[in-house]
Amino acid sequence: MDKYFHFDFLSDGELMAVVYVIFGILIFASTLFFVVGKVRPKANLVELKSRTRSWWIMASLVLTAVLINTTLCYIALAFLSFMAFRELYSVLDFREADRRAVFWGYLAIPVQYYLAYIKWYGAFIIFIPVVMFLVLPLRMVLKGETKGIIKSMSSLQWILMLTVFGLSHMAYLLSLSPVEEPLLGKKMLLFLVFLTEINDVMQFTWGKLLGKHKIVPKVSPNKTWEGFIGGIVSTTIIGYFLAFLTPLTSMQVAFVSFFLACSGFIGDIVMSSVKRDIGIKDMGSSIPGHGGILDRIDSLAYTAPVFFHLVYYMAF
Amino acid sequence: MQRLILRYGYGYAMRTFLRMFVGVRFDNARFLLDEKQFIIVANHNSHLDTMTIMSSIPRRILHKVKPVAAADHFGKTSWSTKLSNYFVNTLLIQRKRDKDNPQNDPVNRMVKALDDGYSLILFPEGTRGEPEIQQQLKPGVAFVLSQRPHIKYVPAFMKGMGKAMPKSDSLIVPFSSSILFGRPKSISPSQDVASIMQQIEEDFRLLRERK
Repeated sequence: MDKYFHFDFLSDGELMAVVYVIFGILIFASTLFFVVGKVRPKANLVELKSRTRSWWIMASLVLTAVLINTTLCYIALAFLSFMAFRELYSVLDFREADRRAVFWGYLAIPVQYYLAYIKWYGAFIIFIPVVMFLVLPLRMVLKGETKGIIKSMSSLQWILMLTVFGLSHMAYLLSLSPVEEPLLGKKMLLFLVFLTEINDVMQFTWGKLLGKHKIVPKVSPNKTWEGFIGGIVSTTIIGYFLAFLTPLTSMQVAFVSFFLACSGFIGDIVMSSVKRDIGIKDMGSSIPGHGGILDRIDSLAYTAPVFFHLVYYMAF
Repeated sequence: MQRLILRYGYGYAMRTFLRMFVGVRFDNARFLLDEKQFIIVANHNSHLDTMTIMSSIPRRILHKVKPVAAADHFGKTSWSTKLSNYFVNTLLIQRKRDKDNPQNDPVNRMVKALDDGYSLILFPEGTRGEPEIQQQLKPGVAFVLSQRPHIKYVPAFMKGMGKAMPKSDSLIVPFSSSILFGRPKSISPSQDVASIMQQIEEDFRLLRERK
């Protein structure tokens, strides 16, 4: 039993504190929207309510995968990459001649996560930016169809970097746990995911409350300086108080949180511009109220490597 | 035994595989339980089409549904005939009409299957063709419907299957695809073949544009 279910997190006060905080926020949000809906029946809360419902499901899934079994967590993260890869591949226009190369791209996902699992850092960090970068174009060239090959080569590499390389840093965080503190990786992973999502929510909320001056009106009319700055400040403060989840000092965490907030914003607008180019509003429809998987984890693909490398440099 | 294999093979195993691995978004097809018999009329781009429709149909009635397939493709040998009849529950027909031999005529065989109480899955495009491009519809389905006008047809439209597994390639490369069902519809006995086909074309067009 203990072999498959790792309940050691239950006795870890710091981890449990975060679990309580997460469910506390969710209960607060659900109650708030329920009460507001009763008091002011005219208020349009349908989207907020379905978003909150999806948050419940996502939070439960993430916490289950992260906490119950460490190996399962690697698999769950690899599957997340797989779904994000598939979503992005399906909306970008690939040629029929690219199918084999794209299949190789899919095969890179288990390899990359396996490298994180066996903690082979050197291979993990070059597998996609170097090995796949060299191999995938070759597979396309062997097919012999040169019309439009530049676009296919670059799109495929970009998809891999974003959905596999970026996200797989979450898996490597798990591998960073030292022997004397086996839960550290899970704590850092929770810190990263929680802070990234809080940053999204904060930027959204501050933007709705105070937003006036648009940053990139052509790409994303909802992104304002007020939301951006409000988000960064809130995220940095929240991160500062969550420092116990990381091996860093409080000041270091505030510094890391600041960068995390900025990179989350970048991920968000980059994905917005891609959607605008293709002419779609959402990447998919797998999460009610949010759109596709990628609409939710776009910022995570940017924050994960930034957070990982800052922590890796400062603490390991 | 076959009934159990169909029921669990499609209702659970195939459905999970299609949803998790290929990325098919299913549509609710519980309304099929209200129909005693039906003909599902779908567009055709991939071998995954039949699998997706079979996995959408409520498990309870799955053994009463026969996908209609070309004998020259799936019945090349007696083995492939047996396998597709057993695991896909197919009704194998020849593509061309056969006036001299009414028992072998595809329309008569489909009508006979309906009279035996089966429902049918039909791909009026006839073959899978170029990925994601609809071909001219063949009128066989209209002949069957006008002979049995009390049976309703259900339009179904699939997107993306031809990208996940096109005719030219047997390798599945996961691609977000979807299936949508229209409401069951009947034809009026006075309708001629051309107007039935036009009606089906229109159903396909509406489903293609629906989100």
